[in-house]
Amino acid sequence: MRTPAGAISVERYQGAVAEGRFRRLWNANAPGYLFLLPWLIGFFGLTLGPALISLYLSFTDFDMLRSPGWVGAANYVRIATADPKFSAAMHVTLTYVVLSVPFKLTFALLVAMALNRGVRGLPIYRAIFYLPSLLGGSVAIAVLWRQLFASDGLVNAALATVGIEGPSWISHPSYSIYTLVALSVWQFGSPMIIFLAGLRQIPQDMYEAASLDGASKFRQFYKITLPLLTPVIFFNAVVQTIDAFKAFTPAFIISGGTGGPINSTLFYTLYLYQEAFGNFRMGYASALAWILVLIIAVFTAFSFLTSRYWVHYDD
Amino acid sequence: MNLRVNRRNFVAGGAALLSLSALGSRALAEETRLRLLWWGSQPRADRTNKVSELYKAKNAGTTITGEFLGWADYWPRLATQVAGRNAPDIIQMDYRYIVEYARRGALAPLESYMPSKLQLDDFDPAQIEGGKVDGHFYGVSLGANSATTVLNTVAFKEAGIDMPTQKTTWEEFGKIGAEMTKAGKRKGYFGFADGSGAEPLFENYLRQRGKALYTADSKIAFGPEEAAEWFDMWAKFREAGACVTPDIQALYKDSIDTSPLTVGKAACDYAHSNQFVGFQAMVKDKLALTNYMRIKPDSKGGHYRKPSMFFSVSAQSKVMDQAVDYINFFVKNPDAALALDVERGIPESKAMRDVVATKLDETGKVPLDYVSGLGDLAGPLPPPPPTGAGEGQVVLRTISEQVAFGQLTPADAGKQLVDEITRLLARG
Repeated sequence: MRTPAGAISVERYQGAVAEGRFRRLWNANAPGYLFLLPWLIGFFGLTLGPALISLYLSFTDFDMLRSPGWVGAANYVRIATADPKFSAAMHVTLTYVVLSVPFKLTFALLVAMALNRGVRGLPIYRAIFYLPSLLGGSVAIAVLWRQLFASDGLVNAALATVGIEGPSWISHPSYSIYTLVALSVWQFGSPMIIFLAGLRQIPQDMYEAASLDGASKFRQFYKITLPLLTPVIFFNAVVQTIDAFKAFTPAFIISGGTGGPINSTLFYTLYLYQEAFGNFRMGYASALAWILVLIIAVFTAFSFLTSRYWVHYDD
Repeated sequence: MNLRVNRRNFVAGGAALLSLSALGSRALAEETRLRLLWWGSQPRADRTNKVSELYKAKNAGTTITGEFLGWADYWPRLATQVAGRNAPDIIQMDYRYIVEYARRGALAPLESYMPSKLQLDDFDPAQIEGGKVDGHFYGVSLGANSATTVLNTVAFKEAGIDMPTQKTTWEEFGKIGAEMTKAGKRKGYFGFADGSGAEPLFENYLRQRGKALYTADSKIAFGPEEAAEWFDMWAKFREAGACVTPDIQALYKDSIDTSPLTVGKAACDYAHSNQFVGFQAMVKDKLALTNYMRIKPDSKGGHYRKPSMFFSVSAQSKVMDQAVDYINFFVKNPDAALALDVERGIPESKAMRDVVATKLDETGKVPLDYVSGLGDLAGPLPPPPPTGAGEGQVVLRTISEQVAFGQLTPADAGKQLVDEITRLLARG
């Protein structure tokens, strides 16, 4: 049996029970649990509980208005065999993940390295670069993105000066997904902050030693910065990948909830949302949600398994 | 610091909290509380709240909480509230969704309230029919409207082109559009919006050909040939430059503020007549209304007068009598009618129509004249769309975009549209 009190060793716990002093132990930990209570209530009431209910609903034909009826694995079978929109949404989401994560991380790392060179007024720059992440998927962003990427937007105005007449990028099925990738890259604030902290951890004397040995800046980056930063890169990659799979608001707001044109911005979560709240298929949408959980779990497990070959922890 | 909460303190505190909340609910119980939910813009909210004030002034002890959202956010919110057993007492309902909600037992049948509490005797009988599902009456129409083409009169004048009339055919309309685009008086301006994915427009086209979108028993009521010809007609308009390019059309998000007409890209767009007030509020140029184009000069019956929206009562409501009383006030009280004007459509009650007609401003008169002047263009009200019709609309839009962006030929698109709609109707 595991001890419920994380801070207290197993030996002491067993001892306490043996001596019949469980009560004292409880008294010692009660304030801790009391402080944890808001989180515990939130976790059990708002996260775990609903998640389990949605697992149950995924085996039903729940339509939000009538009580759910058990349909077995029918929802999962349909997703696997007879749902062209599922594959369309999966394709859009994978494209988004594969493009947005590497670009965003590279960009975040570049900015973090620039800021790490001892610029004056670092907190101000940091705040400014973090700002887009705070704005998130607000309506204002949708409007801004339209101003940039619509037919008469800023991007086309810039292109026009070199004689190129661009389409309405944001509402063209061949380009719309890239405007969303650009939006994601633009919101590079949180990985940047983490990279910045990681860069600060690298001991300066390593660089000094390297330059004494005549190593070029590029070589220093390649041989010192990058290897020592791998734990942070790994963390950022996992978190950003999960986030990208779950992305919803950008597509919802910019496409007006349609995922259009021609499903070109139909993120997986957007499709799930449409099925649940637009078409009253909450049971089916729950099954979609659990498939997404599985996919994210597989991706994350894969990252952890491969991490031992490229992530260096200096212990 | 030593923080200790012993059992006695905890129980005492909890009891205090509980009694507090009990006090709160007793204070509220003395008055009737009505909850309202509707979709629409701020001006609609102002008018609705005014009616609520009028009602409260006459019914002391009633509190009314109104909440409104945009069309797209409205339906998820309503579905969530109904599923959470937390539905508002009075629900604004649309013709598209009334069957889904009524058949799933979310709405209260109201026929037992007629005629004593719900006095709809001077309503157009066809509009009362429109609020019925499986023989029960679920929705009180808040106004009549019809599908319409909105025209920018100033753009036509600038280009020196005659506006389409009641007699204009689609073929002529295509020429008008191409001329408007060619006139080039405004930068990046086209003749009309691309309506190939607009369901009311497609439905009108089918009705003129003696077909429909859906049959009364929830089957598809058109074939691949009609759909293919429809897509083909629009492909030709696109080729001739009569309508906006597909990437511009794709910016339209089913709202007045994103319409190609509103954002200054086209001289004509397609809407519902009650939306005229909203369009005119957003466009500086003077606008006008005309019908959807005819296929042949003598084609009839494409249009119909439809309930623009309903008020329904939730089956979960604990204050049904009061809710019905409020709805009756909403559609039958002269002061309420004046506050509402024609923003939700032309009042269904003859008496209220007369009250409103005398006070209408110029903008308000346009939709009234339009709907009453439809003549042989108007046919009977089609049966309420079946479950899955909401998705059918999305399919039409997606396939029309595939044609517009060159991914599908009109012939294949016609086949695919019929296939997909047939499949989703079967799924239910």
